[in-house]
Amino acid sequence: MNTLLTDCFITDSPIEMGVFDLDMNFILCSKLWIENINADHIGVIGKSYYDIFPTTSLKIKEAHNRCLKDDLKIFEKEWFILPDGSAQCLNWKINSWKNNKGEIGGLIIVKEDITGKEIEEKYRLKAQEVAKIGGWEVNLITNKVYWTKITKEIHHTPENYMPTLEDGINFYKEGYHREEIFTHISEAISNGTPWNEDFIIITVDGKEKWVKVIGKAEFVDGKATKLTGTFQDIDAEKRAEINYKETLERFNLAARSARIGVWDYDVVKKKLNCDDNMYYLFELDKRNYSNDFEAWKSVIYTEDKERVIYDMLASLNHGKEFNTEYRIQTGNGEIKYIKSIAQVQYDSDGILTKVIGANWDITDHRNTELRLLKNKESFTGVFDNSSVGMALVGIDGKWLKINNSLSSSLGYSSKELMKLTFQDITHPDDLVTDLNLLQELIAEKRDGYQIEKRYYHKKGHIVYVIISVTKVTKIDGSTSHFITQIVDITSRKQAENKLKAVLKITEEQNNSLTNFTHIVSHNLRSHSTNLSMLTGFLTTEKDEEEKINLMRMLSDSTESLDETIVHLNEVVNVKLNVIDKLENVNVLHTFNNVKKSVIALMKDNIVTINCNIPEAHYVSAVPAYLDSILLNLLTNSIRYSSPTRLPVIHIETKRVKDEIVLTFRDNGLGIDLNKHKEKMFGMYKTFHKHKDSKGIGLFITKGQIEAMNGKINVSSIVNVGTTFTLYFKTN
Amino acid sequence: MKKINSACIIDDDQIFVYGTKRIMKDSSFCDTIYVFENGLDAITALKKMTVAGIELPRLIFLDLNMPIMDGWEFLEDFQKIPSKIREKVTIYIISSSIDPRDLERVKEYGVVSDYILKPVTPKDLKNLIEETE
Repeated sequence: MNTLLTDCFITDSPIEMGVFDLDMNFILCSKLWIENINADHIGVIGKSYYDIFPTTSLKIKEAHNRCLKDDLKIFEKEWFILPDGSAQCLNWKINSWKNNKGEIGGLIIVKEDITGKEIEEKYRLKAQEVAKIGGWEVNLITNKVYWTKITKEIHHTPENYMPTLEDGINFYKEGYHREEIFTHISEAISNGTPWNEDFIIITVDGKEKWVKVIGKAEFVDGKATKLTGTFQDIDAEKRAEINYKETLERFNLAARSARIGVWDYDVVKKKLNCDDNMYYLFELDKRNYSNDFEAWKSVIYTEDKERVIYDMLASLNHGKEFNTEYRIQTGNGEIKYIKSIAQVQYDSDGILTKVIGANWDITDHRNTELRLLKNKESFTGVFDNSSVGMALVGIDGKWLKINNSLSSSLGYSSKELMKLTFQDITHPDDLVTDLNLLQELIAEKRDGYQIEKRYYHKKGHIVYVIISVTKVTKIDGSTSHFITQIVDITSRKQAENKLKAVLKITEEQNNSLTNFTHIVSHNLRSHSTNLSMLTGFLTTEKDEEEKINLMRMLSDSTESLDETIVHLNEVVNVKLNVIDKLENVNVLHTFNNVKKSVIALMKDNIVTINCNIPEAHYVSAVPAYLDSILLNLLTNSIRYSSPTRLPVIHIETKRVKDEIVLTFRDNGLGIDLNKHKEKMFGMYKTFHKHKDSKGIGLFITKGQIEAMNGKINVSSIVNVGTTFTLYFKTN
Repeated sequence: MKKINSACIIDDDQIFVYGTKRIMKDSSFCDTIYVFENGLDAITALKKMTVAGIELPRLIFLDLNMPIMDGWEFLEDFQKIPSKIREKVTIYIISSSIDPRDLERVKEYGVVSDYILKPVTPKDLKNLIEETE
């Protein structure tokens, strides 16, 4: 070797190096090294290393000694803290040199400052640790596998775990993942294709974990000798990503199936994007429109267009959220109701970036709502305007709502009636039935009921109604309230009562007619049989005296036949219709005239009359009937007066509502009404032995008073007296 | 004709009573004929007879339409007389009424044997006597 050249090589070397003798004195030294320690490179020659670098650590000194002794090559890394406080990492390469005799002549020392490299590596490791990135290496020659600490942590293996290649592969989840990694490894070995893939491994404790595995093969002479790579735990991110994907998928599915159209407006790019659902919703073909905004605008129903576009533009331009409804008209003219909601998005600096909206079809909902409204309106219309009384009644019997028809038929104002319960105004005799039925309704034994019942009018009279009660149930099946319909049948009931009364009169009249017919038949037959019997006797009778007797009887018999016919005529006359012959008749005047006509009879019997008839009392009557009635009562009282008392007669009238009530009381014989009540006013009924008793007077009196729409009652106590009460109509 | 001891006519129609009595006498129907002009007189007398132990008439001819107490009321009261005392008495309703309601009502009274429409003829009497036996 040319010594000079060697010297130059060392002195001018771009690396820091020095050559030392056995005593560690400088023989040669690169300028770079010496300059770095601010020394003259010639000046250090011959001087001791340790004099030049007095801070040399023991570790390095020992390394020097070892090399001098055993002909070694030593690499030593050493960190220093420099006077300015920064760290320095030096790499010492120490090896000995040999002289011609092959003995160790000294050392060659190369010093490398690897501070930058080391720090980079340090950070790399640190980063790997933080990012949970581990390293791995497979020596394909020895088949040895090396895992870094983090790789082991990811697998949850102990730190001293030493896997084989097969062990490593078996950590991958059976099936797709294991096959994939196997394929990648094979590809890398045979073709040198690197990989960067995500896999699922099963950790030692049996948990699934997502990892990112990067790997490549290293080749020597075209033969793969080594596989190296990284191993990163990406489980959380991967799961989040998968979760997000699933959520998005689900959302898209939901949006698709719910037919929710989604749009977004990029405020920066000023571009509206509608998804396919929007087009589906609007029944439009995307291809026919230059942009989504035009498409959307085209389909909005004319009447809503201005409003909706205004709202939309306000939202897009000013980031205003909106929640609105509008109508669209599809190609076939069908109107659909669309609900539209928009929300705005801001970036982290608070700048409006996006408006996102959702649209969906609410036509069915809207139609149902409209129908409901219509039903409600028509119900309210029916309820308010019905001529039938209607009420919504709570379970407690309180009115929830009543209509005018009901309150007016009961005489109350709505306000007054609302303060009452139906129990308050129901006739007590009808209440129990009604309440029982209501209970059955609540107990779900029936769905409704209909009964006839009575209410009290505000004025106190009875209102006849037919009520129909229907139960209204809530969604949960419990009773909400009742709908009651009340039909006022008072007028019907009155007509019915009137009809019943007419029917009763007709029946009575029919009965009396039948009776009358039989009476006529009976009486005429009695006379005719007597006459024929008497004439029979007369033709065969020889005794002259007896003949005279028979003749007398014959004469009596014809007379009484005549009398009977007179009576019957009177009866027949009474029965004729007299309504058009009614007049206003003064009771007092009539009575005074009657008194005059029997003045002789009264004198004979010493009759006292207490008359209390107000001058002003007029009745609606046929004058002749009133005469006849009063005369009959008066003569009866005198005829059937008590033999032990002088006859006293009280007569008085009172006005009761629209009637005049006439009371006629005597102190005569009286009649046992327990026995005779039914026959009292009967034809040919006599109760006392009296020569003038014909049993016709009261019969006619009753007939007359009933013909004038009045009535007559009697009360009597034997041997105390009799009282007749007569009711006359007035005009 | 075989005679019965006594008969009774209850009727307010004096001419009918005269005629009937005459027919009864002509046919020698019975020894004694009681006549009452209404139900009350009759029932009063019959009760007195039972108290006095006198035998009641075998036949009673009863009118329906009478003042004071009519035939129906008489029947009500008559039924109250112990049946042992009245068991031999036969009552015939004698009436001018052809009212079917009266005919129906008569059937309600077991003590009444028949309903005879006025006038009573000798033939009627003959039949009655035969039935009574």
